[in-house]
Amino acid sequence: MDIELLPEAFVELADTLVAGFDIIEFLHVLTDRSVELLGASAGGLLLADPRGDLRVVAASSEQARLVELFQLQNDEGPCLDCFRSGQPVASADLSTESRRWPHFAANASEAGFAAVQALPMRLRDETIGALNLFRDAPGPFGRADVRVGQALADVATIGLLNERTLRRSETLNEQLQAALNSRVIIEQAKGKLAERLGLDVDDAFNILRSCARRTNRGLSELARAFIDGSEELLDLSPGKTPPSPRG
Amino acid sequence: MAGNRAASRAETIWGLLAAHAARRGAPASVADVCAVCVQTVGMSGAAVTVSGKSSPGHVMCVTDEVSEQIEELQLTFGEGPRVDAAADGGPVLVPDLGADDVTGRWPAFGPAARLAGASAVFALPLQIGVIRVGVLDLYRRQPGPLSTDQLGDALVFADTATVLMLDRADQAAGDRGGGIGPGGQPWQLALRRAEIDQATGMLTEQLGVGMEEAFVRLRAYAYAQDRRLADVARDLVARTLRMGPAPGPRRDGAA
Repeated sequence: MDIELLPEAFVELADTLVAGFDIIEFLHVLTDRSVELLGASAGGLLLADPRGDLRVVAASSEQARLVELFQLQNDEGPCLDCFRSGQPVASADLSTESRRWPHFAANASEAGFAAVQALPMRLRDETIGALNLFRDAPGPFGRADVRVGQALADVATIGLLNERTLRRSETLNEQLQAALNSRVIIEQAKGKLAERLGLDVDDAFNILRSCARRTNRGLSELARAFIDGSEELLDLSPGKTPPSPRG
Repeated sequence: MAGNRAASRAETIWGLLAAHAARRGAPASVADVCAVCVQTVGMSGAAVTVSGKSSPGHVMCVTDEVSEQIEELQLTFGEGPRVDAAADGGPVLVPDLGADDVTGRWPAFGPAARLAGASAVFALPLQIGVIRVGVLDLYRRQPGPLSTDQLGDALVFADTATVLMLDRADQAAGDRGGGIGPGGQPWQLALRRAEIDQATGMLTEQLGVGMEEAFVRLRAYAYAQDRRLADVARDLVARTLRMGPAPGPRRDGAA
């Protein structure tokens, strides 16, 4: 773990938590920083929907291949095991896990990942989701990594609860469903923007995100405004190459 | 699909709805959702109201008098679970109308609803992202929260009601036979795929329509082509499929 990055990560999380708070943006910052701090190649955050599935709410990249790796963990995989047990679940070498997670291990290896760490998001006795990190080289995540990673997963839970004071909602379940619907709005906006500009959805997402930051607006609110036509994202032009936040 | 708990839950609930509708000798409707939801989730009553600029809070169906009163009270006082659910973007779950914080939140509605016989109220918006068609209001005579399992069921009932209402609004849906309608059997929709939402957004541009109509057209296309909704969505996102007026020569599969 790169300890030098820790203070900056906490400052950014604290800023996002306070100013113009948007839960999806917050969970994205958290996921990005977790990946960076723990020297991972990719990561995602999943929340448990009472309907019965684990839903991706943030990922370090919006590439379909990565998102799919999270979605298929509804059937098997470290996230599912982590969610069910409420304990961290890891593999230092996915090439040896064909009996443990036949489908997931094969897909993850094909995507270029060799190691995985899943950390539970816990609230009292309940597990409400999981932070899932991948590395492209085999080897375990070290003890310090796991401790910091777990702290970040806990901060994600706190962020979700933080919404309560802002939204006047009374329970975690209300906040969770609102966050999941915000995620859907963002997906709808991604598609609309991607089609309008002739880009792929990953790039469209980065544009929405950087526009929200630049104009100091909530990501979900901007997405909604873009969809209903009240926000034209005027400082874009189709020919422009969109900036990628972290490459 | 077997491995996905949300999908099996949706399939089970659809089975209950279809059976209930069959006993009435009619295709499944929002009225079936209200009735079966009450039985399954252990509620005392349910109501579905329609969102819309023209008739906000218009009651589409209601299972009993108390539910009817709950809707009237919200319309009269302009406050209550449905009102908040419509504004907030998430469900409003109030396990005890007698709790202290409720009086501050709904000073008129709270006591009146309790007098009418409701102790717990749960309002679930009928929505898919920006698509919003109404609210499912549930009440119970006894106070107490929904268990995780009950909430899961209630959410799936709400999802099913959303799709049924979208189909109702879609003129051509009647031609496609009874039940849930085109290309979106509940268990397919329960396999929540980001691509479906992205494809819907793309279609708003390709077809020049709003999100609601884009979604209806996406499902109609999947049904007409006898393909899974997620597969059609994937093709749209990958740009191997396009719908509506194309800028250049059409590729395969354009509707």
